[in-house]
Amino acid sequence: MASITVIGVGYVGLVTGACLADLGNNVVCLNRDKGKSEALKKGILPIFEPGLEEIVRRNNAAGRLQFTTSYDEAMKDARFIFIAVGTPTGSEGEADLAYVNTAAEETAKRIHHPVIIINKSTVPIGTGDWVSDTVCENMPDPDIEFSVVSNPEFLREGSGVHDFMEPDRIVLGSTNRQAAEQVAELYYPLQAETIITDLRTAEMIKYASNAFLATKISFINEISSVCEALGADVKEVAYGMGTDKRIGPSFLGAGVGWGGSCFPKDVKALIHMALLYGVRPQILRAVTEVNYDQRKRIIQKLRDILGGFRAKTVGLLGLAFKPNTDDMRDAPSIGLIHMLQHEGAQVKAYDPQAIENAKRMVKNVTFCQDPYKVAVEADALILVTEWNEFKQLDMARIKASMRNPVLMDGRNIYEPYRMKELGFIYRGVGRGYDEVSLEPS
Amino acid sequence: MRNITVVGTGYVGLVTGTCFADLGNQVVCLDIDATKIETLSSGGLPIYEPGLEEMVRRNVKASRLSFTTSYDEGIRNAEFVFIAVGTPEGVDGEADLRYVRMAAESVAKIMDHPLIIVNKSTVPVGTGDWVADIVNKHRTTDIEFAVVSNPEFLREGSAISDFLNPDRVVLGSLDQEAAEKVAQLYLSLRAPIVVTDLRTAEMIKYASNAFLANRVSFINEIANICEALGADVKEVAVGMGYDKRIGHHFLDAGVGYGGSCFPKDVKALAHMAAIHGRHPQLLRSIMEINRHQRRLVIQKLRTLLGGLQDRTIGLLGLSFKPNTDDIRESPAVEIAHLLMNEGAFVKCYDPVAMGVAARALPEMKLAEDPYALAEGCDAVVIVTDWNEFKHLDMARLKKLMRRPIIVDGRNIYEPETMKALGFTYRGMGRGYAG
Repeated sequence: MASITVIGVGYVGLVTGACLADLGNNVVCLNRDKGKSEALKKGILPIFEPGLEEIVRRNNAAGRLQFTTSYDEAMKDARFIFIAVGTPTGSEGEADLAYVNTAAEETAKRIHHPVIIINKSTVPIGTGDWVSDTVCENMPDPDIEFSVVSNPEFLREGSGVHDFMEPDRIVLGSTNRQAAEQVAELYYPLQAETIITDLRTAEMIKYASNAFLATKISFINEISSVCEALGADVKEVAYGMGTDKRIGPSFLGAGVGWGGSCFPKDVKALIHMALLYGVRPQILRAVTEVNYDQRKRIIQKLRDILGGFRAKTVGLLGLAFKPNTDDMRDAPSIGLIHMLQHEGAQVKAYDPQAIENAKRMVKNVTFCQDPYKVAVEADALILVTEWNEFKQLDMARIKASMRNPVLMDGRNIYEPYRMKELGFIYRGVGRGYDEVSLEPS
Repeated sequence: MRNITVVGTGYVGLVTGTCFADLGNQVVCLDIDATKIETLSSGGLPIYEPGLEEMVRRNVKASRLSFTTSYDEGIRNAEFVFIAVGTPEGVDGEADLRYVRMAAESVAKIMDHPLIIVNKSTVPVGTGDWVADIVNKHRTTDIEFAVVSNPEFLREGSAISDFLNPDRVVLGSLDQEAAEKVAQLYLSLRAPIVVTDLRTAEMIKYASNAFLANRVSFINEIANICEALGADVKEVAVGMGYDKRIGHHFLDAGVGYGGSCFPKDVKALAHMAAIHGRHPQLLRSIMEINRHQRRLVIQKLRTLLGGLQDRTIGLLGLSFKPNTDDIRESPAVEIAHLLMNEGAFVKCYDPVAMGVAARALPEMKLAEDPYALAEGCDAVVIVTDWNEFKHLDMARLKKLMRRPIIVDGRNIYEPETMKALGFTYRGMGRGYAG
């Protein structure tokens, strides 16, 4: 049982705090927003994450998980202080560290006994050293021991709790090995591979891992474009590649590309860091470009088929950047909606979770209550997010209610020949097909 | 027991033929190069591959494996004809298919019974259809045949094990029955078998190799960022590798990939994309970074030595990777050229590739062992991560050198240890001051 404070009750902070409490520790989650804290005390979560609510309630009831807005209260008994605040993208693509800075300063002012400060937020390489300096400058008593450990999170929205409890590995970086080992003990019950390294290397592991996964997706998307040109099927290509143990099957789904709050931000930040230090990041740039091109290629394909978007209605199935989340940050759907509207199309959309968030980000979209309503009088449907509920729709019913039976499968979840049998003009991503168009342009 | 003919006795053909014979089939290896066939018939091997020689002998002795230069003899009893000829790189980065064409034509003209023609060579997407057209055009009667694509995934140095324990067998054909017959040949290997169409099978090969090259270039790009920011890419790779979605393979930063496959296949894929109006930017970045890594070594040496004119540089390793004598597209060859270009004397040592290198780089001085190599050197560069380089007597090496400078192009040494020994040490992507 350790006394732990987690600063920040966003996605990462809340999962980390709740899970550490569930492992039997005493956890205080700190954030400055009174409304959020009050809601959390009642068991109402500011984010949607499967299974989290139950863990929060259970540990709150057991007295192991508390919420507060007061630094004084949060720091009183804390031995481990996790910084898990947001690091949004700044104007130049750099990570904005204002919240990290505040957390470090406020913490430092209240250090009256030895503490270990652990960085969970994804922060630029060198931030650990910088936090250490900030703490030094703001401590009331410079003789009290403290150390900074980098412990990047590898949580995926939609499976955050599972990812915390069954990690592929725990990464800990510090100039103080003993401190890193004490943090390692917190994770000991998880029986996971633990890597202890220096601060900068730990910070880099996070960026490099996310950038690599983004690269995998952009790679298969580049291959998908070649497959289309040469008449191969990228879905089977990915399967054939994925059976190679050195490649592996994950993150080889061709489609409209990655989005969300991590990949775009982390790839951008890594590019920014490289450039600031005189390294030309070519792969990372190509990876980014391929990703955003995927969104445009959908529009181009659809324009060819429809002969233009003026007075056309296009329906979107799915809005969230991936299934099982309501997260709309940098979701491909946003760009698609903007481009469609710009070319004169009416847009309708349905998503099982993300409609509320989407409403804040796009205008003039007709939000529907189910997929069938989206299809009514639509000239084309674009499958944007591969929610399970879209995989077994009554496609005959969908087709019957559409004005034109055009189906753009942005995630390759349907079988091309089945869709053709049903009478759809079907386009996947990277699956060889015959050219057809509705109207000669 | 099946009757199999393998056309081409290069690396792929020989391994394929010999392994099929070892699985109990009757195999004829056919090559129009008479000297090669003579060497093979007398028990010699035109290439170096661990374990292959013994396996060839054993199967020749058991009369399951024979060699010929005659298509008549080769095709007479064959049920399966594997085409495993070379597909060198053409002038524009395209794969040169002349040997595939010759093989297809020769088989077509002679064939007098139904055949399954299996393409093992790495060929551009669409070649299967093209081979079928050629056979159609040149066959003398209306005999049935099918074309199956069955790309090879053999690595030099571990080809036999790769053949016998594959991650998967990929088969592509328009003729499902033919693909299944070929699948039967592999059944005893108990590997997953992916059956798909011709073009997709052909693409799987290119995409797989390009992805592995991508892994290498990715970690090299990260290495360069690590160097600038003071992180250690070797530990970064370990941390990344534990992620099950990433894995540990091909994440070694260094002087980059080489050999007869990756460079050729990435280039060919980029070429195919470009001639069909696509813009293969990621593939181009992969190639560009790989090229850059070799130049990075020159740059490091130039900075450390204040110019390369009249300096003596020793290269440890010549082959593009350990356990092979293959120096095709090897980083060592390019690095040697670049060094000589700037006026340096280049010496080199490699456990098995010296003979090949002597022919390819006649102006280079060859040393008998790593210590002879180090003698009088201003710097030593590790180019190939042969095991025997990993535990050298570094103190002895240092004494022999004119200046104690090591550029470790494969990150096989520990920076701390090298510094403690008094070396000026530079790895690839391992943060250091200065």
